Amino acid sequence: MSGMRFGLFLGCIAPNRYPGIEVATRQLAPMLGIELIDLPRAACCPAPGVFRSFDQTTWLALAARNLSISEGLGADILTICNGCYGSLKEANETFKEKPEKLAAVNEILKETGRTYRGTIQVRHIAEVFYKDTRIEKIRSIVKKPLGLKVAVHYGCHILKPTKHRGIDSAERPRFVDELVEALGCESIQYKDRMLCCGAGGGLRTGALDVSLDMTLEKIRNVHQSGADLIIDICPFCHLQFDYGQIQIRDSQKEYYAIPVLHYVQLLGLAAGLDPKETGIYANFVPADQIIKKIGM
Amino acid sequence: MCEVTGCLSMGEDGRVGVFVCECGGNISNEVDVEAVCKAAQGWDGIIVAKSCPYLCSKPGLDLIQSLVKRHNLNRIVIAACTPRMHQATFARAMKNFGLNPFLLENVNLREQCSWSSSGGKDAATRKAISLVRGGVERVRHLEPLESSWLDVEQRFLIIGGGIAGITTALELANQGYQTYLVEREPSIGGHMAQFGKVFPTMDCAQCILTPRMVEVGRNPNIKLMTSTEVVSITGGPGKYHVKLFRKPRGVDPEKCTTCGACSKVCEVEVPNEFNMGLDKRKASYLMFPQSVPLVYTIDFGHCTKCGKCAKVCPRKAIDLQDEGKFVEVDVGAIIVATGFELIDLSKFEEYGLGVHKNVITALHLERLLSPFGPTGGYLRRPSDGGDVKKIAYVLCAGSRDLNRGVPYCSRVCCMYSMKQAQVILDAFLDTQVTLFYVDIRSFGRGFEEFYQRAQEKGVKFVRGRVSEIQEGDSDGRLIVRAEDTLLGVPVEDEFDLVVLCPALVPSQGTTQIAEKLSVPLGEDGFLMEKHPKLDPVNSLREAIYVGGCILGPKDIRDTVSEALGAAAKGSTFVKAGKIELSPEKASVNKELCNGCGDCAKICPFEAITVVDGRAVVDSLKCLGCGACVPECKVNALTLHNSTDQQLFGLIQGVLAEKTDAPVALAFLDYDIAYNAADLIGLARIKYPENVRIIRVPTTARLGKKHILYAFAMGADGMFLGDAHMGAGPLSKASKITEKRLTEISEALDNSGIDSLRLWFSAVYIPDFRKLASTFTNFVSTIAEMGAIDENVRRKILKEIGPTP
Amino acid sequence: MSVRRETVDLSKADLDFLKKIVESGGEKILLCVQCGTCSGGCPAGRRTAYRTRQVVRRSLTGLKDSVLSSQDIWLCSTCYTCLERCPRGINVTDVILILRNLAVQAGFMLKSHKDVCTYLLRTGHAVPITDKYKALRKELKLPELPPTAHSYPDAVDEIRRIASKTGFDKLVGFEG
Repeated sequence: MSGMRFGLFLGCIAPNRYPGIEVATRQLAPMLGIELIDLPRAACCPAPGVFRSFDQTTWLALAARNLSISEGLGADILTICNGCYGSLKEANETFKEKPEKLAAVNEILKETGRTYRGTIQVRHIAEVFYKDTRIEKIRSIVKKPLGLKVAVHYGCHILKPTKHRGIDSAERPRFVDELVEALGCESIQYKDRMLCCGAGGGLRTGALDVSLDMTLEKIRNVHQSGADLIIDICPFCHLQFDYGQIQIRDSQKEYYAIPVLHYVQLLGLAAGLDPKETGIYANFVPADQIIKKIGM
Repeated sequence: MCEVTGCLSMGEDGRVGVFVCECGGNISNEVDVEAVCKAAQGWDGIIVAKSCPYLCSKPGLDLIQSLVKRHNLNRIVIAACTPRMHQATFARAMKNFGLNPFLLENVNLREQCSWSSSGGKDAATRKAISLVRGGVERVRHLEPLESSWLDVEQRFLIIGGGIAGITTALELANQGYQTYLVEREPSIGGHMAQFGKVFPTMDCAQCILTPRMVEVGRNPNIKLMTSTEVVSITGGPGKYHVKLFRKPRGVDPEKCTTCGACSKVCEVEVPNEFNMGLDKRKASYLMFPQSVPLVYTIDFGHCTKCGKCAKVCPRKAIDLQDEGKFVEVDVGAIIVATGFELIDLSKFEEYGLGVHKNVITALHLERLLSPFGPTGGYLRRPSDGGDVKKIAYVLCAGSRDLNRGVPYCSRVCCMYSMKQAQVILDAFLDTQVTLFYVDIRSFGRGFEEFYQRAQEKGVKFVRGRVSEIQEGDSDGRLIVRAEDTLLGVPVEDEFDLVVLCPALVPSQGTTQIAEKLSVPLGEDGFLMEKHPKLDPVNSLREAIYVGGCILGPKDIRDTVSEALGAAAKGSTFVKAGKIELSPEKASVNKELCNGCGDCAKICPFEAITVVDGRAVVDSLKCLGCGACVPECKVNALTLHNSTDQQLFGLIQGVLAEKTDAPVALAFLDYDIAYNAADLIGLARIKYPENVRIIRVPTTARLGKKHILYAFAMGADGMFLGDAHMGAGPLSKASKITEKRLTEISEALDNSGIDSLRLWFSAVYIPDFRKLASTFTNFVSTIAEMGAIDENVRRKILKEIGPTP
Repeated sequence: MSVRRETVDLSKADLDFLKKIVESGGEKILLCVQCGTCSGGCPAGRRTAYRTRQVVRRSLTGLKDSVLSSQDIWLCSTCYTCLERCPRGINVTDVILILRNLAVQAGFMLKSHKDVCTYLLRTGHAVPITDKYKALRKELKLPELPPTAHSYPDAVDEIRRIASKTGFDKLVGFEG
């Protein structure tokens, strides 16, 4: 599978909590020559932090089911979320390294009449933008350089385990910084930039206070750096930072009101999409001052 | 008389003694040695077949001697450990028995049988019997041979001018030998010249090194050649011919008075490598103040040839057109001491070396503490020159790492970090030093006491490998994060300076020289020693000795010990004055030779020429690879001690015991592949007993007829293993085998044998594990193909005849 | 002052537990030298009692009950920092996931996690849509329901059938 035609895997949080991310993605794709096809009946990836923790076989089977839908439509699968990316990619790598596991999973999938042959690749929209679309093309659709000071949050599953990802360094990555710089923004260094947001691994569900404490540490560091906003490439990190700031405000009484955007939303703004259409007004932490700052 | 070959070499009066060693259980635990002796007793011409606990010991050799006398034995088969171990011992003993040493056959029952055979005692015993039988059939055809003698050049070449090279040079020079000491940098001294104090005595490195360097400079027996590199080495033990390149220095050492005027006017500034880039030097420079020779050098890589230095030099010593000079020397032996370098830690991005200015390596710190270093010995932060109040040491940076670094321990870091810590605490009273360690390895003499003193001085120790280094809150300070595993809590602290202790790895010089000398490296990239316990300062090539960090990380004391050992070995070799030249060379039967010259064309060492219509072999150049023998269409060439009769006898003997299981013969070249096979046994890795190893000088000794003969006599598969190019002087021969494979495969296919039964593999000594798995795969492959049809075998035998 | 037996009787160590971990893909933990790089960089370990290194040590010692019943193994956010930095190349994060699987099999599972399983098995999504967000989707000119299992009830059936085949539904106590 190659070329710029992908099965758009939506996951759960983007369509069900932050649909603006979905909108921005769908609007940007044709502007960048990317064809997106829907994956009817796709379900939860399944969320690796919870379901892989409970039963690896079930996780593999549900992941394979999603992969088979895209394979059936003859397209590589494209995710807009680190969690979905991690889940589907790790499952795909497992099938490559241990074909007996693929055989076992296909036995289970017989219950649904589906088979996964293991022929497609799993992609993340940020790495497709960087490797396939490339910076020059991204720059070419920028109508308005945004001039913002951006704190980039990579998240974890996009880069690690590095031996399966091969995208960028896990300690000092650059590729999303470059994607942000292509929009006329400055990527600000802040302390512990590579720290996990705290949502994953079932932590947000199983120990919310611990997970929010990690988020608070990041928020404090971002605040100290003087950045205008946080950019993420994962709806779960996005939820953790956006809704999480409200939860922290209510429980810890500490609040910095730092707006949070997914990269596709930022790119959408730079490419001239109507801010209302990118769904940023639905954020819990108001994004108004961002819109003012970029003069829209 | 041998039934198949009809050869009468041994004569009716051949009397063979077979001796099987138990090797203290190493063989007898896995092989029923009594059964082997019993089987041997049943073979033609065997007068005695006896086992013994340790054949190499005095009682063992006495036993053989008494039996030789009593039964008038005139050929001996010793089935014991690898010939690489004790062949020399037994060969010497043969002389004591009154027998020619070339009438001895060594059979490898340990490394290549008892230690490596899977399948239990019955299988190993079967294999042992067949290997001994092969040895017996070969011994029937052995000829008494006489060695010749070569005068040994009474000179040494020492490659590498660090403390190891310097020590060896002085030791040999003081014994009266002329030595060439070659060093690629403009001055000798190596890394030791960069050190301040050394552990555990806190001696000043410069104070103990400089006098030696000066001695080297003025010793009439040492020809010091700095800024010089080795280009090529040819020849052999006793007479190595070395080509050197004296790199262009731009300054005449006879005229330079080290006034420094050239450096003052030079306008080019580059990072000073001696000070780890912490300050700058000019393109015209002196490596360090105590350099030997005390002569300036022009760095032509950066010189702009502006000419200012030449104009200002009061002695007119500068020649900017210097192009360097080639020099050729002949030496009897070579000692290689090319040392170590530090691993590149850029892969360990979490440490931030190269990103955070105040993260440095221990060698940087050594220079910072040095009175003639970039800060005159004051501890200053590289980022802003500020005070250093708190220092963290990161131990095991890159060492003991299966993930990204090297798997071994670098041996010196625990000690030198405690040394640096004590130096700092003594000199800078309110500085705090914390060592983040995994284990403290203080194994040497005085080392544990040194550790105690470090603790008493107040050095802080945290047992936890540093996980990450982050930028701190102020001005280039750094936050170190680790777990104090003894407390069981994550800890973090802010430091002015973080010192990484990088792994020691083979220097670039080591890798390059190993290629030029064709000496194999070990699995870890350092040079492989002849024997890790008993012959530690010898390489795998005769008269090439080694010492110091070329063999692995170690401190100065151990380096000097090895350097002295290498000097002793070298001097023993050279002092003998003559070297015995093996008679295992090619020779031409003038009656049969037709002067076609095919042999001369194929010889990889240019040892054969055609003179007056007959081929002539230069026995000094000939290395005994055997490539010429199969080329000769009129059978005029023979290789002494690897004759066709001996080979056919060996093959026939190994295949004499018929089994149901498929049999694979593995012909391995003695230098490399055979050595690797021994390492498999040493590591106790198992492969199926169906593999019978036959030692050949190189696989190029084998031609079509040997391969066909082996299949005809019962082999189901043939494996040829030879040195990878560059591994050992004979490795060129393996290319010849590769070229011949097409023809041989065709001959096999035409004879009804699937050519997939013939495998050829280039073998790397460090990769011996791969060889073991290749053997296992090979056996499965031919097992799947099944045994060769007897009719096919009979047909081949008919075609090639009883004496092919 | 409470007084009780503190000494761990190593003969009572559960080596089958270690064997199970090794067989499930965690064989590399046998190489652990307890250097502490994992705990040293663990974001959860900095703010809780969770010590990655110690969990590995307890597993190697065969202290099955203390490992599986502890909340600690659920405090990992699977950020993979430990796996990336381990000098022995141990897949630490994967080992934590294996331990979690074993814990769930032994009946140790948080209620909040069981609830997430219920959402998955009822709707196909771990985070199902609500009315509020249906309205938001409509406002953004998207179909109210995404083209996922939310729009296709037979997809939920498929997931249930998979869960039944693997025994997942029983494992997490799903009541339908």
